[in-house]
Amino acid sequence: MKIRRIQNTLIRAFSALILFALLLLGSLSWYYLRKLLIQNAEVTTMQLVIQLNRIIENYISYMDDIALMAVNNEDVRTFMIYPATDSPQLRRKIGASFEAIRSVRRDIDSVFLLTRDGRAIASTPGALNPAVDIRGRFAELESGLKPGRPSVSSAHVENMVDGRYPWVISLVRDMRPSPGAKSFGLIQVDLNYDIIADLCRNIQLGQSGYVFILARTGDIVYHPRQQLIYGNLESEHIAEILSMSDGNLNAVVGGRAILYTAVGSRDTGWEVVAVSYLDELLGASREAEYYFCLLSLLALVAAIGGGIFISRNLSRPIESLRRSMQAVESGNFDIDITVNANNEIYQLARDCDIAVKKVRDLIEQSRSEQELKRKLELRALQGQINPHFLYNTLDSIIWMIELGENERAIDMTSSLATFFRLGINRGSETISIRTEIEYVRTYLTIQKQRYKDKLSYEIAFSPELYDHQILKLLIQPLVENAIYHGIKNMEGLGFIRINGEREDDTVVIRISDNGIGMPPAQLQALAAGQIEPRQGSGVGVRNVQERIRLSFGEQYGLEFESTPGAGTSVTMRIPVLRGEAT
Amino acid sequence: MKNRALLIVVAAAVLAAAALTLLYRGNRFFGPGPEATRRVIAIFKTVDYAGTPFWANVRDGVLSAARDFNIEVSLRGPEQESDIAGQIEIVHQAMEEKPDAIVLAAADFNLLVPLAREVRRRHIPLVCIDSFINSDDADVRIGTDSYEGGQKLGAALVRYVKAGELVAVMSYVKGSSTAIDRESGARDFLKNRVRLLDTLYSQSDVEQAYKQAVTLIRLTPHLRGIIALNDPTARGVGRALNESGKAAEIALIGFDNSIEVVNFVERGIIRDTVVQKPFNIGYLGIEMARQLIDGKKPPRFINTGSVDINRENMYQPENQKLLFPVAPAAPVTPATGAHP
Repeated sequence: MKIRRIQNTLIRAFSALILFALLLLGSLSWYYLRKLLIQNAEVTTMQLVIQLNRIIENYISYMDDIALMAVNNEDVRTFMIYPATDSPQLRRKIGASFEAIRSVRRDIDSVFLLTRDGRAIASTPGALNPAVDIRGRFAELESGLKPGRPSVSSAHVENMVDGRYPWVISLVRDMRPSPGAKSFGLIQVDLNYDIIADLCRNIQLGQSGYVFILARTGDIVYHPRQQLIYGNLESEHIAEILSMSDGNLNAVVGGRAILYTAVGSRDTGWEVVAVSYLDELLGASREAEYYFCLLSLLALVAAIGGGIFISRNLSRPIESLRRSMQAVESGNFDIDITVNANNEIYQLARDCDIAVKKVRDLIEQSRSEQELKRKLELRALQGQINPHFLYNTLDSIIWMIELGENERAIDMTSSLATFFRLGINRGSETISIRTEIEYVRTYLTIQKQRYKDKLSYEIAFSPELYDHQILKLLIQPLVENAIYHGIKNMEGLGFIRINGEREDDTVVIRISDNGIGMPPAQLQALAAGQIEPRQGSGVGVRNVQERIRLSFGEQYGLEFESTPGAGTSVTMRIPVLRGEAT
Repeated sequence: MKNRALLIVVAAAVLAAAALTLLYRGNRFFGPGPEATRRVIAIFKTVDYAGTPFWANVRDGVLSAARDFNIEVSLRGPEQESDIAGQIEIVHQAMEEKPDAIVLAAADFNLLVPLAREVRRRHIPLVCIDSFINSDDADVRIGTDSYEGGQKLGAALVRYVKAGELVAVMSYVKGSSTAIDRESGARDFLKNRVRLLDTLYSQSDVEQAYKQAVTLIRLTPHLRGIIALNDPTARGVGRALNESGKAAEIALIGFDNSIEVVNFVERGIIRDTVVQKPFNIGYLGIEMARQLIDGKKPPRFINTGSVDINRENMYQPENQKLLFPVAPAAPVTPATGAHP
């Protein structure tokens, strides 16, 4: 299994969560911001266009005022209706009044009067252009005119005055003697085209947006890039604009998305059209995008930082606990497991600490038990070379030799040799019951030589036990005990009976004698191990009892029964140790 | 260790944020960056804009495009259209300045060829406008198809002149490619229809054209038509014809336009004039230069076209705009660093 660090998991989760939230928030606000910006732009542009239209209409209505004034001028009417009144004086008078109008307003380029019969007066000084056919011009102008209503032209070049070719916008009104009658003449007021051009030019729509004016005929009245339009280097969606009513139109020109805002005017018959570039309108959303990116970055940093912070708080105690446990794994139990935390991890660490201490105690206990066992065993071994026993035996041998009882001396000596060989043999803790019995038998053989007819014995084991294992030197000390405390001081023949049998999983070995027995107090002291043998091998009952209990537990051990004057019986219970012989 | 990692993460984030800030804000505060540094030198046949409105119109187109495409344009040229040596010197100087591109209206069809080759050798993009050179060293050629324009002259003339009648051709500068092409277009169209006199050269000088025309009209009583191959020539001839009072007998067909030519057309002294689209020539010249600088492959030749103007059609909306160009919006000249 792949081990994942808590820190990385947390940082990943934090980042994902925050990024998701930001993305959602960002796209939503971006969408609404865009919508809002476009709406705002549409509204303000529309207001701008309406305002521009109004200004232009003001100019047009001012031109119409002038035309009306001229139409109703007595001199003008006289000049138009009665050709006979035509005189240089009248012409000068009319020309002067036109000139007066023109001179106070620099936006008016010129005022003309044309009659059906081909006469004309101009406000502008200079001769009329001889190339212009007045009758033809009159017919041309009249054809586009509604009776009694002004007509506004598109932008055009005025060539009425010789040598002048200004760009103008013309307003024409006719003059009739009475409604329904044919018009006698026309008044034409020319507005300086630059006025309109400047008005439009001065409107700034973003970085590169602009305003242009379209006549209903599709002619361009004003366009900042007129030359390019005429040269087909640029184009506008003129047909679409003309076909829609006042409002907005989205289009693409030259690869850029644009917004057309068009408002028509009834007075002029023109459409004022504003062109805004969407990318410029959305400049603020670009800024918002920038701040959003910045915010995302900061949030990401916060996510990573927060992840690191929280996970450190979380994983540092775990890490410290882990280190402690690793130390324990490598065998060092002598540590205190404490972590700097105030949550479950602290509890976990405390439990671990308790467990480790318990293990440490157990190990300590087991080690001291082992030590004790070994000590006891060693003492049992040492008991075998009890010098008194050896001296006595050797004394007995010397006596036998001196008495010439060589046969017995030989038996005694070989028994002694066998006794020591079996007692000191091998390092193993256990031996087979067969060997232990032989050992006991050798011991009794030696003792019988000493006590002669005063000691007799019987050893009876069920044969199935022979190959079972038994701790070394368990039976011999008890036999020794029987001899020294039971038989040695008794009158008559002493008898020791040693038998062993199996009861379920327990080996029961009983050593009983018919010696002097013990009073209950002494028996108790013996059972409690308070009586140390001063003679014999000196190993004693206590040693046997402790070794059995250390090896096999409290349920095993020795039981004593004694009747003063009648004998003592020791029952040993040990578990069946099968075939573990070495 | 963990502290350092945290520090690195934070530092990286701050740096990234700073870079983003610059990216977004930089554009606004420091302008559009390297794009602004494109430098183009435009060399006209003449910078006498008052005398030759045609070139004033080309200039307007150049400046308009310079503003649209954010290009720094330097406008140059000799005072006199016939000063070929002067233009050669100007081109030489321009080449030494290592601009990003050169836009050239060649004063002579042949004499500028070696220089154009040198410009090409130095990997400076070359756009020829209006008048071309006798080699393929120009990357792009933009202008009126002069041969086609010449044929339009012939087609206009035959409406006024009967077959076999006498017609004069008055050209301007002998080596100019436009003069050569217009003349051959007109001559090819007319050669089997009328009798053609030898070509006269006015050197684009109104006075000289006037004198030549006065002499021509006086010495050639059977003359029924004159073709004047450019605006100064047409004006000179127009004045002579006006004075001679023979405008009704002799049909004058001009090329290009000015206020004087327009006035002559209105009065019937000049019957037709074939006009070009000089604004477009200038505008496209800069636009194609930009494409070349940006490594794009524009077409080798762009025909901007020509229109036959006469008294009847001159005030039609689309023709008005050609004859009486509306000056471009004001703030052009200072921003582009041009010095006309």
